[in-house]
Amino acid sequence: MADAADPTIQAMLAAARAEFGARLPSKVAEIDALVERAAWDDARRAVHKLRGSAATYGFAALGAAAATAEDLLIQSGGAPDEAARARLADLLRVARAEAERAAPEKR
Amino acid sequence: MKPPNTKLEAGIDPDRPVFAQGELVDGAYEIRGVLGEGGMGEVYDAYDRVLNRRVALKVTRPNIAADYLLLEGRALAAIHHPGIVTVHSMGKHRGLGFLVLERVQGLSLDRMIDDRRARGEQFGVREALDLLIAIADALSVVHKAGLAHRDVKPGNVMLAPGGRVVLMDFGLVLPNADRAGHRRVAGSVQYMAPEALTGDVEAGAADLGDVYALGVVGFELLTGIIPFADGEPADVYRTKRKMPQPAISDYRSDVPESLANLIAQMMAPEAEDRPQGAETLLWQLRGVRTRSVSLQPGAPAFQVLVVDDDPDMRDALALYVRAAAPDAELELLGTGAEGVQSVRRRVPDLLLLDLDLPDMNGIEVCMILRGMDLGDGCMIVSITGRATRADVELLEQLGVRTLEKGPHLMEELVGIVQRMRPQPSPNSPH
Repeated sequence: MADAADPTIQAMLAAARAEFGARLPSKVAEIDALVERAAWDDARRAVHKLRGSAATYGFAALGAAAATAEDLLIQSGGAPDEAARARLADLLRVARAEAERAAPEKR
Repeated sequence: MKPPNTKLEAGIDPDRPVFAQGELVDGAYEIRGVLGEGGMGEVYDAYDRVLNRRVALKVTRPNIAADYLLLEGRALAAIHHPGIVTVHSMGKHRGLGFLVLERVQGLSLDRMIDDRRARGEQFGVREALDLLIAIADALSVVHKAGLAHRDVKPGNVMLAPGGRVVLMDFGLVLPNADRAGHRRVAGSVQYMAPEALTGDVEAGAADLGDVYALGVVGFELLTGIIPFADGEPADVYRTKRKMPQPAISDYRSDVPESLANLIAQMMAPEAEDRPQGAETLLWQLRGVRTRSVSLQPGAPAFQVLVVDDDPDMRDALALYVRAAAPDAELELLGTGAEGVQSVRRRVPDLLLLDLDLPDMNGIEVCMILRGMDLGDGCMIVSITGRATRADVELLEQLGVRTLEKGPHLMEELVGIVQRMRPQPSPNSPH
């Protein structure tokens, strides 16, 4: 039985991480589009998913940015004011940059 | 001096037992009957009048050196294990040394094999494996004491009530390091390793002859056949050394490859190619047993249900489960309703449940499932990116463990699956 340190498992994890990383830019773009449309509930759900999956696949900074964005959306009760939106935009910029950094791993 | 194999070789009247029925040995042991006999001596059914119990009395013949019995007595006295016959004491009667042994009631394994053969029945794979594990367990204690049994065979294994398997007849036991002793050929030809047939046992390697013999026992249990059994010792030696090993798969198709390969390894002509001692063999057999349950036809696989609306998380959880249980049966679903329906059809061993599902709160799902009275059959683990303390406490009351999505999720999940699917560890006690 393999364990987390088994080389085969490590190789599979690296491949899974690379595939997920390659999809990150499109995931963040999707959140951007939802925020642009003010579809706050859908945006919250998308950010919530990204928070969990990014952290699980080892993209800690992206996961942390998504977590803060989610908290912001929850705290704003689904209708963020201008300050909250500005903060959200900053967070999404960070997320975009992290996603771009992650994507080249597949190449 | 090579020990005689028959009474005639020992120069003894084969029709006269050493002790007579009713004889009182050493003022305490009343002879009731003969249990068995060989060239070196006899074993009697006796009654201990002092302690009011039945015993077995083993006595050597007058022309046999007293050293054999003393070696056997001392070896048994040094070992304490339910799988090894117990020695009570030693004594002398009419100039003959005797051992007082535990009287093991039951059926000998060779008798059991004969009975099955006569009825045209086979040993089940699990049954044979359990027997091999029990014998290897007893042998490991012998080998740890620095000894080698040297006569492992079904005739020296007793199956006692309560599932106890007892290794008997330590008449040929020798210290593993006794090279000179091991150069004397002794044992049962069909079960002897090639090097034991010629007395070419390397110093400290006599225990590997026991491993070989147990391999032959395993082959016999599973196929009813003793390989390379025919002919004089010299012929048997040649075939054991030179001929290709018969394959268990030629005789039956339900033996897992891992077990067939292990038995083949036990019967390797070269001692260095066998499992290096009974302790190593024991862990290998236990490993086969753990895996063989999942390989047996009809046996349920380890079933895992993953419910998460995020396909990336479903993929990650599936990967982590497979890391710990490659043979797991996985079902991946995206909604709470689908998850509940699936559990109604078939209860999984493990349910990994996202708390934030689109149609149903994961806590609701847990409450529905617990209301279905799944019993201890299903372990539920909630996987969450953000659960409040109240959520975690409520889930604990429902018997649900919570893991957080993040860099430690794999390690924690692998640990849970490993505990649900135990594997042998070299550090585990017998």
